[in-house]
Amino acid sequence: MTDRPLILCADDDEDILSLVALRLERAGYEVMRAVDGEAAIAAARERRPALAILDVMMPKQTGYEVLVELRKDPSLRDLKVILLSARVQESDVERGMEAGADAYLAKPFKAPELVATVEDLLGPAEPSPPG
Amino acid sequence: MAPPAGLRAVPAAWTFMAAGAVAIGAYFLLPAHGDAQSVFYVVIGFGSVAAIYLGTRLHLPPGERRAWYLFALGLLCQVAGDAIFAVYELHLNREPPNPSVADIFYLGGYPILAAGIFLVLRRLGGQTSRAAILDSIVIFAGVVLFQWVFFIEPYRHMAFGGESQRLVAMGTPVMDVLLLVGLAQLLLGPGGRTIAYRLLLVSIGLWIVADELYGLHVSSYQGGDWIDALWLGSYVVWAGAALHPSMARLALPDRRRLPRLTTARLSLLATAFLLGPSILVFEKVRGHAEQIYAIAPLSAFIGLVILLRLSGLVRAVERARRSERVARREAEQAQQLLSYQNEQLVEIDTLKDEFVSSVSHELRTPLTSITGYVELLLEDEPSEEKRGYLSIVDRNAHRLLGLVADLLFTARLQEGRLELERAEVDLTELVQHAVDSARPRAESSSVELVVEAENVPPLLGEQVRLAQLLDNLVSNAIKFTPAGGRVTVRLTAGDGLARIEVSDTGIGIPDDERERLFQRFFRSQTALERQIQGTGLGLYISKAIVEAHGGRIGVQSHEAEGTTFVVDLPTIR
Repeated sequence: MTDRPLILCADDDEDILSLVALRLERAGYEVMRAVDGEAAIAAARERRPALAILDVMMPKQTGYEVLVELRKDPSLRDLKVILLSARVQESDVERGMEAGADAYLAKPFKAPELVATVEDLLGPAEPSPPG
Repeated sequence: MAPPAGLRAVPAAWTFMAAGAVAIGAYFLLPAHGDAQSVFYVVIGFGSVAAIYLGTRLHLPPGERRAWYLFALGLLCQVAGDAIFAVYELHLNREPPNPSVADIFYLGGYPILAAGIFLVLRRLGGQTSRAAILDSIVIFAGVVLFQWVFFIEPYRHMAFGGESQRLVAMGTPVMDVLLLVGLAQLLLGPGGRTIAYRLLLVSIGLWIVADELYGLHVSSYQGGDWIDALWLGSYVVWAGAALHPSMARLALPDRRRLPRLTTARLSLLATAFLLGPSILVFEKVRGHAEQIYAIAPLSAFIGLVILLRLSGLVRAVERARRSERVARREAEQAQQLLSYQNEQLVEIDTLKDEFVSSVSHELRTPLTSITGYVELLLEDEPSEEKRGYLSIVDRNAHRLLGLVADLLFTARLQEGRLELERAEVDLTELVQHAVDSARPRAESSSVELVVEAENVPPLLGEQVRLAQLLDNLVSNAIKFTPAGGRVTVRLTAGDGLARIEVSDTGIGIPDDERERLFQRFFRSQTALERQIQGTGLGLYISKAIVEAHGGRIGVQSHEAEGTTFVVDLPTIR
């Protein structure tokens, strides 16, 4: 176990999931992945990450639903959540923020933008150990 | 010597009638039953006939004089009858035989007068509908009944020298039927009345009254009797009608197809209807023998015709009600169809909305991977050449993203859902920023990009949308300007307005395309020919943004000389 902050990434598109994970790992965070809503909730309950980056349009449970579910769990009170979605209309953003997201990022995203948002919420990661 | 102006202004009609009244007065001052009186009677009559002839020639064009010539001729017949009497009295010192040739003229005049009235009525129009004809029949039957009972039938019981004398005596009330019917029709005639029209009514009425009074006093009548005043008055007033200028147009036109049920018409119909029973009662009270065989059939006939007339009215009302029902049903059906179509439209609109937003989502998802991994590769790629290739992929991916954004935005505009998040916006800074970010594109197309920005007061608007507007206008200008040209962005402050002008030295816009320029998906012919990339959404979106900010966008362009887009936006101060 490391003391690097753990981030849960959930997206049904594995290419995007890998891209996000790669960017966060490069920024020094530890990342775990989920490919649908249910898996995301299960993983969050099991490993209690510091931050969850949720895609909105996911099978089984949407990002909104996952967010609502996680917000009900008192043991995840400190969890930060970023919604990351290709749904970019204002109504989508509003809905996400109302459901309790800490930030809403539009796809496609620029890497610096993603990392800056995460760092805003968690503070910078410990520099990754050399090697 | 010319008459004084005041006198000259008195119209001929009134002058003639005044003179006629004086003459009639003079007639009664002459010795009763004398030769002079007989001659004077003929002179007044002939003078009136001459006046009718002159008035007709004066006021009517040749084609329209027939009715009035008939009046003149009909009255001339009467004058001729009087003249024959006068000749007998003057030269033979006795009355003409009974019947005489004078009676032929007297009786012959009536159909001619009636024909004149008929022509006038025909000119007025409105007499040919079923209702008008039924009314005429009722009036005719009523007049016949009235004349028969009071003026014709009594002659049957009078002593006469011979049957021919009786027949001649009956002739006048029979002929008066014609005049009475004509008078009633004139009373009911359509349109507004002129003075000449009223004078004509008066003259016919006077004539009939004189005839009827004569009929009642036939045994005691002698020349010079006061009844003569009525006949003479009729001559004079008839001439007055002909001399009055309004005889050229007796009634103002009324193009109604059906006669109106005016009070006059209703009273005439009611009178005809009540005539038979009233006469019966009247005759009974007077102790006369009731003429049941004349009254019963004529009353029944009048009743039947009035029934027909009523049924026509009822049918007309039913027809109107039926067509009203049909119209109402059609309106209801149309409304139902409309609301159904409206529901469908709303449904289609919602579907379209969902479709557009899901297409947008589906396009952005793969683009996320493309741009994300290209970004990654660009960071790691040492080869300048390969980085160049990757930038091309990146640029085109972003073009695609721009297109998706424009489509989504357009779909929202279509729904009327452009809501601005307003804040104070510094246009000067925004213009500078738009020009700065367009500069690389301008340089790569060898287009000079000039900015002349004044400081303008801030405006209340949405920064992202205004930036989008500026970017659209500047990108357009660069796209449509050939290498070596120039694009100028000017920002000036006006009266409560900020004016943005984006000019290019490009290919210009032909006149016929200018109006459609701001329509959705409009692409100019030149853009298509020269394969200048675009979706035809930029200006449509720009216009929507400007209008959402309460501003105006316009374009000035001359083909081959360049184009200037002018945007006026209201500022806070």
